Amino acid sequence: MTGLGSLLRQRIRRDRVQVLSWLLAIGALVFFAATALEDNFGGQAQREVLLRLATANPAIVVLRGPPQGADFDALFIFSIFAFLGLLAGLVNTFLAVRHFRAEEETGRAELVAATPIPRLLPLTATLLWGLIVNLLLALMVSGCCVAAGLDVAGSILTGVALGAIGISFLAVGLLASELMLTSRAANGIAAGTVVLAYLARGVGDALGAVSDDGLFVTSAWPSWLSPIGWGLASHPFTANDATPLVLNVGLATVLVASACLLHVRRDSGASVFGAGRGRATARATLSGSLGLAWRLQWPSVIGWALGAALLGAFGGALGTIAGSDGATNPIAEQLRALSGDGESLSQAFLSVIFTAVGILAAGCAVQAVIRARQEEAVTTAELVLAAPVRRVRWLADYLAVGIAAVLIVLIVAAVAASLSAAAVDAEEGAARDAFASALAQLPAALLYLSLVALVFVLWPRFTAPVGWGVLVAGAFLGLFGKLVGLPEWAENLSPFSHTPVALGTEVDWSGGFVMIALALVAGVGASVLLERRDIASM
Amino acid sequence: MFGFMSTVIQARNLQKHFGRVHALDGLDLDVQPGEIHGFLGPNGAGKSTTIRILLGLARPTGGEATVFGQNSRTDAVSIHCRLAYVPGDVSLWPNLTGGEAIDLLSRLRGIRSRDEYDRRKRHLLDVFELDPSKKGRTYSKGNRQKVALVAAFAVPAELYLLDEPTSGLDPLMEAVFRRELSERVADGGTVLLSSHILSEVEQLCSRVSIIRAGRRVEEGSLAELRRLTRTEVSFSAANLTEADLAGIPAARDVRIDSGRVAFTVDSATLLEALPVLAALRVEGLTITPPSLEELFLRHYGLDRNDAQPPTAAVAAEPAHARHARSGR
Repeated sequence: MTGLGSLLRQRIRRDRVQVLSWLLAIGALVFFAATALEDNFGGQAQREVLLRLATANPAIVVLRGPPQGADFDALFIFSIFAFLGLLAGLVNTFLAVRHFRAEEETGRAELVAATPIPRLLPLTATLLWGLIVNLLLALMVSGCCVAAGLDVAGSILTGVALGAIGISFLAVGLLASELMLTSRAANGIAAGTVVLAYLARGVGDALGAVSDDGLFVTSAWPSWLSPIGWGLASHPFTANDATPLVLNVGLATVLVASACLLHVRRDSGASVFGAGRGRATARATLSGSLGLAWRLQWPSVIGWALGAALLGAFGGALGTIAGSDGATNPIAEQLRALSGDGESLSQAFLSVIFTAVGILAAGCAVQAVIRARQEEAVTTAELVLAAPVRRVRWLADYLAVGIAAVLIVLIVAAVAASLSAAAVDAEEGAARDAFASALAQLPAALLYLSLVALVFVLWPRFTAPVGWGVLVAGAFLGLFGKLVGLPEWAENLSPFSHTPVALGTEVDWSGGFVMIALALVAGVGASVLLERRDIASM
Repeated sequence: MFGFMSTVIQARNLQKHFGRVHALDGLDLDVQPGEIHGFLGPNGAGKSTTIRILLGLARPTGGEATVFGQNSRTDAVSIHCRLAYVPGDVSLWPNLTGGEAIDLLSRLRGIRSRDEYDRRKRHLLDVFELDPSKKGRTYSKGNRQKVALVAAFAVPAELYLLDEPTSGLDPLMEAVFRRELSERVADGGTVLLSSHILSEVEQLCSRVSIIRAGRRVEEGSLAELRRLTRTEVSFSAANLTEADLAGIPAARDVRIDSGRVAFTVDSATLLEALPVLAALRVEGLTITPPSLEELFLRHYGLDRNDAQPPTAAVAAEPAHARHARSGR
């Protein structure tokens, strides 16, 4: 099977940097999370407080998972496994769509299909490559768990369970590629399924039965609808039972078989859900480059806003636990280490949640600039710039949509937090705190917007990698820099480290003003320099 | 009259360097009002680069380009109010329909009369047989090209910059394109038509500029250029001797092939050969004027026998342009 070998090598070669980066990042996350938990929750008593707090507030269980006792390794699984499952799912769906629907969409698949290879061979090669990646993922996670000093059998099961989750979503990505015509739609459906699976098990775990000592949760039935739920049900380090993972493999088998059946029956380049038709004439709103920028971006803005609404609602609902343990709680200390903010426990929680909202908002800003770059790269920007549209105006329109998107994300989160706080009868001033916390996130998001715009003007080809790179680095340094013991100067590199302190006794907005000033300088610089460079696809 | 209607496009000594590659190497270009100016050259000669400079999308490394007497870079917006552009490889927004893209581009250029625009658009959609309600990603190459052509012709312009506008169109649609373009010119438009399809240029263009490796190597009306080249004459070889053929004045490259004599003669001296042919009472006489292809080959084809590698012109194409095309 030389054909299979060539196709497999092509996939490995194309993905080597990307997949390796993902694997290393997940490995680092596992290792640092394990060691950071060790440092912060070394004592049995601390862990019990944390878990009782969690089981008393279903919102935490939604985000984390069902607690399985106060042992250290059980706490490790509780705090990070579901999130790792989410990551493993996304890595796999993107991989499947990248080598399948995206290839058909661009017409490259036809070049390959015209060679004397069996019809299913490219699909087989993608499946095989996905399986290899999941094997590597399992090895990486198991290895990092062992390296962090966790029990070997549990470590191996952790890796295997994540690999099994990954395989399920690999199959989801393959099937989505059969169903949808474009890679964007296939990615949307597949990634949406991953998030849905994460939420389904969240709901199941939140509705689960809590043990009398408040340290265990037995998940309810919705968790059993989710491949991530099946992974959690293997309970690494505690029950250590791999049986539920049979469901992951079974689901993958059924989905891959369906994808193969569809694949041999359809035309190359076609899909189950065909291309929609649309309006023959444009709406009145689509009459300038601002209208176009908004038209191109509003679907993703809604996606970001939905995420912000979920986070906000979650943050608001945490208000109820404020009264239960009081502000002197060791958990509150930990949260302050994370956010450096807030007087009461609920304020501290709110700060942490809104830091995450701020990262979403910054992501939205980064994406707006990347969209401008994509327009340039596929040459549709030329069509607009050959009309009487000033370049500066064109860029400003994308930045304006970016600012609007940031505001929408922050306001939606604040409104959601206020509503959910009101619904659970949270303490006085929760709504005010939510809006103050949201406002505090604005400067960092605007700084990201204009910094990435500057990169777009100076080094257009690097807009996307640098944009996402500085966002992830900033989020990591700002959120975890202190926890993993990085020096202060490294932490200070992140805009999120300078986010204004909006709550508590030491309110300080100075960092925000500095960042807004920097954002203005970078924005003006980008506008001036854009006039001086060529508009080019490379 | 010409005092008012000054040169529409004027480029002097244009240079564009991409690293060590000189895409344009001292290019001159003059386009007069009301003409369809053929802009000829093989792939990579610098046609698209020139048009991108004229549009202000790219900065020349050296030299200057003016459109309507204004600087192509600093006055880009006011120039763009008066021109329409069709790229050779049209990309559309995948989630906008063709109709939405046409409306958007027309609105960007400025629709003066709604009724007039609607009427023109309906006419163009009809003659180009374009379905405007399909999403951009589902159009074939030819249909994407039609979207750009309809958008360009739906709003009147003083100048049409067309960069290989018929690539991907079938011959019937090429004919529609030629008809529509002629109407635009009759309305007072000027056209710069970049192409390497010689028959198209021959049918449409009043003047041509031939460029090679970033320089103009020939410029003039087709009639002028024809005079510079040789006419092909051929007739039946029956009953003719070598001596008869040797007596034909100014004949070059005389050859006998499958029963026919063929030779070339300078277009200017063709008349001198005719009395001799009449005296020989030749049969089946055909006289073929030089085609544009021969004009073209005069500048490119000769090279193929030279020491210079035939790929020299292609190598001059900026690497980024080639990547951009193959990467899509």
